[in-house]
Amino acid sequence: MSDLLVSGAVKRFGDVEALRGVDLEVGAGEFFCVLGPSGAGKTTLLRAVAGLERLDAGTIRSGGRDLTHAPVQGRGIGMIFQTFALYPHLTVHDNLAYPLREARLDPAQIERRVGEVAELLRIGHTLRRRPATLSGGEQQRVAIGRAIIRRSKLLLLDEPLTNLDAKLRHDTRVEFKRLHRELRMTMLYATPDQLEALTMAERIGVLREGRIVQVGTPRDLYQAPGDSFVAALVGAPRMNLLPAVLANGGRAVALPFLEVDGGPWATALGRFPAGTELWFGIRPHDLAPTVDAQAGPRFRATVHLTEPLGDVTVLDLTVGGTVFKMVLPEERAVRYRVGDEVPVGFAVANTHVFSRQTGTAIR
Amino acid sequence: MAKGYRARGVRQGGWGRTGLAAVVSVAYFFPVLWIILTAFKTHNDALATPPKFLFHPTIENFIAVFRRSYIKGFEAVDTGFALFFFNSIFVSASSVVIALAIGTLAAYGFSRFPLRGNDTYLFIILTTRMLPPIVVIIPIFLMFRVAGLSGGYAGVMLLYTAFNLPFAIWMMKSFFDELSGDVEDAARVDGSSETRVFSRVALPQVRAGLAATAVFGLILTWNEFLFALLLTGVGTRTVPVAMAQTIGGDIGVRWGLLAAIETLFLVPVIVVSFLLQHQLLRGVTFGTIKR
Ligand SMILES: Nc1ncnc2c1ncn2[C@@H]1O[C@H](COP(=O)(O)OP(=O)(O)OP(=O)(O)O)[C@@H](O)[C@H]1O
Ligand SMILES: [Mg+2]
Repeated sequence: MSDLLVSGAVKRFGDVEALRGVDLEVGAGEFFCVLGPSGAGKTTLLRAVAGLERLDAGTIRSGGRDLTHAPVQGRGIGMIFQTFALYPHLTVHDNLAYPLREARLDPAQIERRVGEVAELLRIGHTLRRRPATLSGGEQQRVAIGRAIIRRSKLLLLDEPLTNLDAKLRHDTRVEFKRLHRELRMTMLYATPDQLEALTMAERIGVLREGRIVQVGTPRDLYQAPGDSFVAALVGAPRMNLLPAVLANGGRAVALPFLEVDGGPWATALGRFPAGTELWFGIRPHDLAPTVDAQAGPRFRATVHLTEPLGDVTVLDLTVGGTVFKMVLPEERAVRYRVGDEVPVGFAVANTHVFSRQTGTAIR
Repeated sequence: MAKGYRARGVRQGGWGRTGLAAVVSVAYFFPVLWIILTAFKTHNDALATPPKFLFHPTIENFIAVFRRSYIKGFEAVDTGFALFFFNSIFVSASSVVIALAIGTLAAYGFSRFPLRGNDTYLFIILTTRMLPPIVVIIPIFLMFRVAGLSGGYAGVMLLYTAFNLPFAIWMMKSFFDELSGDVEDAARVDGSSETRVFSRVALPQVRAGLAATAVFGLILTWNEFLFALLLTGVGTRTVPVAMAQTIGGDIGVRWGLLAAIETLFLVPVIVVSFLLQHQLLRGVTFGTIKR
């Protein structure tokens, strides 16, 4: 059962086309992430769902109702803004109570709900203070509280972690998962951060220049990116995308320093003429120094730069003119110094091939 | 809050600069001080050279503001100044309140729901304040005569409202422009109608701006002389006009009396500024000092 259905959503601001026909289906109680770089149209999409922007074309349905032309006030959707947007002139208590007062709940009930939400989010001690006197994390939790206090079915979150520091981001990610479990709300969560999307979402929709280019579970997107854009966006460090051409009568992918064949893409490649320009993709985690008897392709590369991250180290390698990354556990990486030669191998099953012309994955 | 600023001022500026600032402030305040002192002097003390700083204070000037004899030896009569003070307060307060009410609504509209050619409208509104009053005074005087608006309260109030309006719109628009649009959008999502977004969310955030605009408007109106002279009648005369008429008295100028009028004239301005000082401090800095 779907709780939110966006079809063919188009939104223009003058000459800028922020949404170019977005289709989206979010299931009831689902945690759905909209992942896309800055300017992709995430905010515009969420604001349109909330009713703050009027679509130029397309429809929005939720809970069995057509919301396309419904006024924002009547939609009964909760929203957390990137800037938090707390009411600066009201205390935390009154910020939380605001949606309930607007809905004319009786005061006793308002007090009870404010108390519940404050406890749920551990902001009881801040109730009498103004937002400006709160820490970023506290402001964030007040914003969450205000958005969920009406117990609406659908919650929109616009980059709610962007304005927090790294430690707080991690804690709040956990918090969102807990809230989602406890409140059983449908969540539409916009973020430019693939890590947030991968760790929290049940499904992710990748938004690129106003279009949804792929929808899938985090595993889908990570293991089978639909195009080179998604491949580069999801996963960190990002997937190595190396220029290659189709060779050997359409069965092998030729890198300047290596020919690879027999991958999951081998059959599909048959449709393309020899010489077709391709991207050859392999994740830094899927590369490793070869041990003697290992099967699969291998080549020798030179260590160009090392970037220790504590538990793992990112090695920048060069072979010929090509630069790419390999991630190793710290204990395996200590052996390598800049300038060393490393024998590198990988499993063909973990490789991806994309058409360089269209970006689409070939498999 | 004000205390905080002061303490920080001394700490950061050091005593040397703070002292310098004090000297400059006194220099600015000196004429006002001089007027207040003169108000408490007898006629002879007021005219003494070199000027006296130590004298026996008297309140005879203040009594004379309201009751005095115009020709020596005759009985003291009511000067009508109680009425003039009432007129000044009534006319200034009501025109500022009206201008603020209309101006705030207009400013919110200009800021949040811009029209095609929004800036042009704003500019046109401002042009009404670009001509020096003396240029427009004759046509205005004639218009008001024909319309039957001269002499009564309605005429001056209308004119003062019109004078305060452009200023109120521009000031309030700049305050509304400062606010985050997301906060108002949050209120919409939370179920507020447009009216309530304005009254419950936008307006409370510009309280400081309202106070600043009100005080500036009040001072402007309170001190206005030229139009008041032409448009008020005997019963609706304001203090600045009455004051001017007091100068041309019987034998020479009664400085003590004049100073007493001015001192009384200052009181409302000081009271209002004092009452609103916290808001004002934020308002006049246009939000550059945060909370
Ligand atoms: N009110 C507006 N007027 C004009 N252009 C706008 C407006 N709002 C958004 N845009 C444009 O629409 C496009 C999408 O913007 P949007 O804010 O939705 O992106 P976003 O994905 O939320 O980006 P970010 O991650 O930076 O928040 C951008 O090119 C932006 O400049
Ligand atoms: Mg955004």
